[in-house]
Amino acid sequence: MDGNLETLELFLNFGFPLLILMIAYFIGSHIEKRHFRDIRERETKVHGFPVVSFNTMPDDWNVSSSDMVTGSIVISLDYFKRVIAGLRGLIGGRIKTYEPLLERARREALLRMTEEARLQGYDAIFNVRLETSRLANARRDGKGVAGVEMLAFGTAVKFASRFANS
Amino acid sequence: MRFVAKQPKEGINVSDTHPLVEASTLVVGLTAIFVVIVLAIIFMIEVALFFVSAEDEANLFGDWLPEDLITVAPDDDRLVEIQLLVDRLARHWPDSPYTFRVEIDDSETANAMALPGGLIIVTRGLLDRVESENELAFVLGHELGHFKNRDHLRALGRGIVLAMFFAVVTDSDVAGIGIKATDITIRGFSRRQETNADEFGLAVVNSEYGHVDEAWRLFERWEVENDSVINLVTYLSTHPESGDRIIDMKRQAEAEGWLLTGDVTPLNW
Repeated sequence: MDGNLETLELFLNFGFPLLILMIAYFIGSHIEKRHFRDIRERETKVHGFPVVSFNTMPDDWNVSSSDMVTGSIVISLDYFKRVIAGLRGLIGGRIKTYEPLLERARREALLRMTEEARLQGYDAIFNVRLETSRLANARRDGKGVAGVEMLAFGTAVKFASRFANS
Repeated sequence: MRFVAKQPKEGINVSDTHPLVEASTLVVGLTAIFVVIVLAIIFMIEVALFFVSAEDEANLFGDWLPEDLITVAPDDDRLVEIQLLVDRLARHWPDSPYTFRVEIDDSETANAMALPGGLIIVTRGLLDRVESENELAFVLGHELGHFKNRDHLRALGRGIVLAMFFAVVTDSDVAGIGIKATDITIRGFSRRQETNADEFGLAVVNSEYGHVDEAWRLFERWEVENDSVINLVTYLSTHPESGDRIIDMKRQAEAEGWLLTGDVTPLNW
């Protein structure tokens, strides 16, 4: 009976938090894999659509109309990523668990912007910029992080004639 | 310049390391670091204890009462009786540098504490639960054992230094790992301290009454009563299990040839 209690105590102290961490990891990585798969598929669909970061329009673009297009995503950390990042924060170094998260956010924001431009009948986007902002968690005096917003924006243009090669 | 459409490149902004590898490296590494720090703190406190004699401690903390730690129970008649009992028990430790003082903490949980300067705190919950003077004498003797082995200073020192250490680590998840690592590291030490204090307490009880009857009856009752898992888990964290304690004490009494039965003194209240 004494041995059982030791085991139970060990489980409450270590096993239970570890179990929650593992559940968070499996759900989080499943969602992440699915999101990356979705991103790749949609990137293939918009392949060939010019999205460039020049801040002036290339000279050979003869355009008839333009508009600002945006794509934004708000993405949150899972428990696993947050715990591991917290541990990393103690000794420093690359927060490897955040990297795929932000990669997803960047690509998703660019995709949404591109998809919006295509939907509106535009042919290309220039002056593309990325912005991030941190959304604070209101529950903990605004100290915790609820998630990050990634905003992609640029100037979408419609060509008067088809893209002329110079 | 010609525009060539390209797909985004994969794997530039994302590290190859598998998240689980990253996680286990960090958890194992940090736990090891915490264990080393805690061991270093324990060692430093042993060194510090070497320089503070019990006489210095008694002078320094002679009339110290940590009022933010305990709530003194107002006008509890039992205080006089306990003080008399402690004085009687302390006679079996003649070269003690302390003048022992007793205070009753107004709390429901059954507990007793040894604090610097010879201050013994017993909770109201404990007094409500003891059924004979012999039971209470053993608990008080156990606390005297902590003074004898200077465990009360160790506990206080570790508490202060570790609290300072964890004040630096603000992230709750990281602190969680640290506290668990500390718990595991200290547990072995504190269990040995409790066992030593048990031995001293039992010797004191035997000298006072000429037998050790009912010395551990409180623990026997506890073991039966304590089916609440949560209570047991918190209690386990610092003390050896009551079953083990009883076995150890029986063994000690048999080895020393102490009488296991005798006249039990009833409580005076």
